[in-house]
Amino acid sequence: MALISMTVNGVQVSQEVDDSTLLIEFLREKLKLTGTHMGCDTTQCGCCVVHIDGVSAKSCTVLVGQAAGRSVTTIEGLAKGGELHPLQKAFREHHALQCGFCTPGQIMAGAELIATYPGELNEHVVREEMEGNLCRCTGYHNIVRAILAAGAEIRGTKITDPTLASHSVEG
Amino acid sequence: MEPKPKFKAVGQPLRRKEDERLITGRGQFTDDFSLPGQVYAVMVRSPHPHATILGIDPAPALEMPGVLGVFTGDDLAADNWGQLPHNPVPSTKYDVKLTGRGGTPVYIGEHYLLPRDRVRHVGEAVAMVVAETRQQAQTAAEMVMVDYDPLPWVADTQAAAEPDAPRLWDALPDNVLVDSIFGDIENTDAAFAKAKHVVDMHYHLGRVTGVPLEPRASLGHYDPQTDRYTLYAGSGGAVRQKHEHAAVMGVNPDQVRVISFDVGGNFGTRNRAFVEFGLVMYGSKKLGRPVKFRADRSEAFLTDYQGRDLVVDISLAIDENGKFLALRSKNLSNVGSRCVSLSPLSKGSGLITGSYDIPYATLHSRAVYSNTMSTQAYRSSGRPEVCFAIERLIDKAARQLGYDRVDLRRRNLVSPEQMPYTNAVGSEYDSGEYEKNMDRLLELGDFVGAPARKAEAIKRGKLYGIGFSNYVESSIGSPKERADLIIRPNGVEVIIGTQPAGQGHETSFAQVTADLLGVTFDQVTITLGDTDVVTAGGGTHSGRSMRHASAVISLAVTDMIAKGRAIAAEALNVDGGQVEYEDGVFRTNATNRTIDWFELSRLAASLSPDHAGGLKVRRDNEMHTPVFPNGSAMCEIEIDPETGSLEIMRYTTVDDVGRCINPMIVHGQTHGGIAQGVGQALWEACVIDPETGQPLAAAFTEYGMPRFDNMPSFLCEIAEVLSPTNPLGVKAGGEGGTTPAPAVMISALEDALLEYGPPDVAMPFTPLKIWSEIQKGKAIAATKQQGAA
Repeated sequence: MALISMTVNGVQVSQEVDDSTLLIEFLREKLKLTGTHMGCDTTQCGCCVVHIDGVSAKSCTVLVGQAAGRSVTTIEGLAKGGELHPLQKAFREHHALQCGFCTPGQIMAGAELIATYPGELNEHVVREEMEGNLCRCTGYHNIVRAILAAGAEIRGTKITDPTLASHSVEG
Repeated sequence: MEPKPKFKAVGQPLRRKEDERLITGRGQFTDDFSLPGQVYAVMVRSPHPHATILGIDPAPALEMPGVLGVFTGDDLAADNWGQLPHNPVPSTKYDVKLTGRGGTPVYIGEHYLLPRDRVRHVGEAVAMVVAETRQQAQTAAEMVMVDYDPLPWVADTQAAAEPDAPRLWDALPDNVLVDSIFGDIENTDAAFAKAKHVVDMHYHLGRVTGVPLEPRASLGHYDPQTDRYTLYAGSGGAVRQKHEHAAVMGVNPDQVRVISFDVGGNFGTRNRAFVEFGLVMYGSKKLGRPVKFRADRSEAFLTDYQGRDLVVDISLAIDENGKFLALRSKNLSNVGSRCVSLSPLSKGSGLITGSYDIPYATLHSRAVYSNTMSTQAYRSSGRPEVCFAIERLIDKAARQLGYDRVDLRRRNLVSPEQMPYTNAVGSEYDSGEYEKNMDRLLELGDFVGAPARKAEAIKRGKLYGIGFSNYVESSIGSPKERADLIIRPNGVEVIIGTQPAGQGHETSFAQVTADLLGVTFDQVTITLGDTDVVTAGGGTHSGRSMRHASAVISLAVTDMIAKGRAIAAEALNVDGGQVEYEDGVFRTNATNRTIDWFELSRLAASLSPDHAGGLKVRRDNEMHTPVFPNGSAMCEIEIDPETGSLEIMRYTTVDDVGRCINPMIVHGQTHGGIAQGVGQALWEACVIDPETGQPLAAAFTEYGMPRFDNMPSFLCEIAEVLSPTNPLGVKAGGEGGTTPAPAVMISALEDALLEYGPPDVAMPFTPLKIWSEIQKGKAIAATKQQGAA
């Protein structure tokens, strides 16, 4: 057992936990933050992505001790001051989710991509960079559009390809 | 007859009511629920494809830390727990009638929660370990000593149907459980005898699995005070689960409450009961603690109900003008080790002639048991298989006989004038404009421009293929649905027994209800998934939900208007006949007073205590008539001949879904459907090692998935030919993306590889297989050249 302390969604937390506890177990079972989902338990599907000090991490293969002393953000902590993150809004606007199970991981990975990718975001970049997140419902079409839309909003850029900018959802 | 509703919300891409909770991490998936004192279940699973269980010794596991119990089939039998009543034979009026050999009843082998005699597939649960923590249960599961005597096994579909194949069930003389013949043998034979051309094809459309990203999970709690069981378990329909588990336990269905709120993908895999759902309730009853189970991803790959797996032998008789005369098909379906559903065989059987006017057909439908996980309906149950067969056969015929593949189709499509059209095996297509769909698709996808794109790609050293397919499919499903419609002063609630897993019922059903009642979309909420609230309903499968929901809600609204008129008359102190109703408002010429639904609900409560909880209508509906969504799809692909890698350049569809309630949702369904169909064509397969019988695809590293970087953007258009079979003219929008996708992908591959000869390999067409076909083609060409020199 070990006493583990970290900041989760801006709040300092400390708990006595078994050394072998995974970060996702700590979040879901100890803190009751069930928005982070266990999809494959092997770092392959991305349903469990959270940010550790602002960097995306698949929390199903992170030991809780590895996050000790650091700042963890989960889907529950992405909205700021009651205002949804632009990517959360874009997911709804562009119908980028269906069952919603992979969605927290998609949003967390996409938000980090928008915040940190050094170059221009386009369809090719989004598809390459998001490859570690699986979705079985959407065929990815609308997730790509949501990330590009939120990216343009946050970065103050324009989407030049009309097939990516339009609300293809209304086709 | 009430005046026709004004559609304001229906047809609009309204953003979903579901989304707010799901984008903020407040969804309610099964594993998100925890109960005080809960403990964890882990299954002990068979490593053998087929073996006699000689004995199970739980003693070493029981000594492990934290272990509370180990349970086997003997324990369940001692407590008189029974079998899962899967009811696998489709039985609505319009389903084809599958039987055993010579018209005998279909033999359905037993399915207890844990077997006592034999294991019949790798991964079959033989015991449940329950411990204080999941880790303790996992460790202890490895200490349960099961004494197996391995038996000969068979996994391959065709091999399982051989008379000397290892047998799964002693009561069956071989593994064949369905053996039925349909159609007109005499006229089919006559047509083949006089046909100018006959083309044929043999194909095995292989085994895949649904891969919902939420692993199946269950949390069971038995309350001795009330003698009731509560099961948290995401599924394709909580009401069905309630009745089936009650039957297993031998209790009254009222003693079981099933909760299924957010479901992380289904695609058919969750429609039938899983053994772990009953087992957690058993564990809870025995231990007095809530028991939780969550499959890990490998368990999901091994033991989620799987899909497809059909072997088809098909031949088509064609006259000198390219007109189809008759079709023969032999369809062999692999049900796996236990028969949970014959839907895939049945649904496909009714559609073997596809979108084409083929006067005569015969079909020999068979199903076999094998030492594999059971199959179930998987997205567009049975239809991609038969669509693949007819569409690929037409491409082959066009190539062999020198027809343009679009022209050959055009000569044979069922025309709108023929609707309703009864096909050669008795399915009655309700409506559709098949040729118009095809022409619109060719326009939308710029079919005429494709050869120029091909030439340009070839210049860059690529191979380029253009794929095409029409499709028609059927939506049948459970015929009964119930809606409780409740109007309170602050809003409208509809309680209904469908079970979405991402299809947006809370949104699209609210759109329908809002327009039918003349209220706003925001004023309507839809309640689903808790059997203590939802008393009846058929669940979600076979594209049934939008059609059944809109039909039963329409009827409930009609009842509600009649009820409202009487209450309004009382409130306005006039005769019922003097009350007019239009678009959500009651009025009378006698006064200037108008009353809307919400005021009426307030007034009603003051008139009678019966209305204290709101104006209520409960309506049941039974609707058997199927509908036939249809459409066309094309795609263009580029292949690197050096590596066999493939890129999808364009993918275009036109889909007739009947009335489209929410185009945003329907497009989303089409996109996801395409990905699943393309996935089967290119990457996905539940491969079993032919030497050992071991499944080889038990992780995402081994089972190829559609991903961000291997899927294209899509161009999809909705066609709305209203179905005459239901009040709003709905067909279905969930499965049209999938149905033609394997056919359209392989059509493109064949087109791309034409210079190397028609590819002759089984799906999925991985880069290695594509590369090998290219090398094979090159070698043959080189030999020919040498011979010529």
